[in-house]
Amino acid sequence: MKKFLAENELARDDRFVRTNIADRLFDPRGAAIAQRNTGPAKMAVDRPAAAERSRSLMHGIFVGEIQALEGAGRTCYDFDLDETPLALKLDMARQCWDEARHCEISIKLGDHMGTEIGAYTESTFLFAAACNPDPVLRLCGVNRALEGLAIDVFSSMKDFGNESGDPVLEFCEDWMLADEVTHVKMGSDWLRKITADDPERRERALEFQRTVDSIFNLGGFRGEDDENVIQLARKFRSLAGFTDEENDSLADLARESTVQAREMAEAATAALDASAQGGGS
Amino acid sequence: MSSRITVSPDPFTLIDYDAAVIAGIVEDAAATVGLPTNVEIHLDVDEVLFAPLVGHMSDAADGKANLWISGANFEDSRRPRTFSTEQARRDLTVMLFRANDRLSEDFADAPPDAELTRGERAAWDVYAVGRAVREGVPVPRQAQIYEFRLQHGFTDIADAAFERLWNAESMTFAGVREVCAETGAAERRTSKVPIDLLRQK
Repeated sequence: MKKFLAENELARDDRFVRTNIADRLFDPRGAAIAQRNTGPAKMAVDRPAAAERSRSLMHGIFVGEIQALEGAGRTCYDFDLDETPLALKLDMARQCWDEARHCEISIKLGDHMGTEIGAYTESTFLFAAACNPDPVLRLCGVNRALEGLAIDVFSSMKDFGNESGDPVLEFCEDWMLADEVTHVKMGSDWLRKITADDPERRERALEFQRTVDSIFNLGGFRGEDDENVIQLARKFRSLAGFTDEENDSLADLARESTVQAREMAEAATAALDASAQGGGS
Repeated sequence: MSSRITVSPDPFTLIDYDAAVIAGIVEDAAATVGLPTNVEIHLDVDEVLFAPLVGHMSDAADGKANLWISGANFEDSRRPRTFSTEQARRDLTVMLFRANDRLSEDFADAPPDAELTRGERAAWDVYAVGRAVREGVPVPRQAQIYEFRLQHGFTDIADAAFERLWNAESMTFAGVREVCAETGAAERRTSKVPIDLLRQK
């Protein structure tokens, strides 16, 4: 079996439709919609298109779980025992078991919301975090950045389940959230253990994690304000081994990302206005 | 194409939708719901909005149906920026059922869509979707019940109300309000987010 699988080599059946972030970035409607108030980003039953947004996000979570499973599985397989201790591989194997269960739960939650596998497109940028050839950097990318994002997403979905009075969503997300905290904790513990005598490598791994976290902020998708769809779950991150300093740093990154997204929207708006004025003269 | 149907914008500039194709689907859907042939229909498609920002509104005044829909409703969720005839047929049929309701005495006392509560709107939608399904328009039932539960609660009472609305052959706006009282949706506090927010430019 091939080692170090590239993002575009992930296997999917014909129900899945692959897309990429560029499709949305170059959508001509993007600049126009940036000028509009489409309501609070934070999930709530009174936000416009609440049901469809939930279904779409649920499908995104489902494909994210598949990629997390693939990422953890690849960490088990790609590295030899002289690069990664057996106990780390066993942790990754346990994680695969969890992620496979999360895939099944997410499919059932999709059924509950009235959607199905492949109803929305899949972007595989999450798996990109699992492609680093250094096992420690990969561990940071998958178990601290990707699984950290999962903590934030599940915490937000759990809150939405609570707010909407949906016990199925609330309990499922709560149980999956507990697993994700464990996965991040495994990443935090292994990072400290493996790099105990190699501070330079630890710093490189943390820097890689910061880069991945910046990407996962997705231009304001995650943060601590109502304009962010997904809320940073500080409490659960602390349980998973993130220090207060790390949480603050992540919050700063998220805030920067939100500001950048806002500035880009304003620039796009200005460009549209200029274009409209030019067209009218 | 019937001159009683107008679609705007024409042409679309941000997305590759065809106003004439959409008008043709409107005409078929109007026949399906039994909208009187003397009723003029204007459909305004907001081409700026993309998936998942779906939404639609049906109002009627002076014997004319005024419809608004988000461009996201026509966008194939599997193929972004691609028109989905199936989705368009589904949503336009539901919209026209509601427009037709508004032209009847049964819904004469219903406020405009922008003034409905979310509970009233969700209940009315179920009544319309149930009829659309019986006319052979495929609509995922589970998606509809999820939308209904978000506004009426995840309870047995709400599910029973959903069944009645889905299977109803006739209904009045007073009946819709009764459902809201029964499920508790009428008691929900008023949201600060306008129900027609997506329509506001």
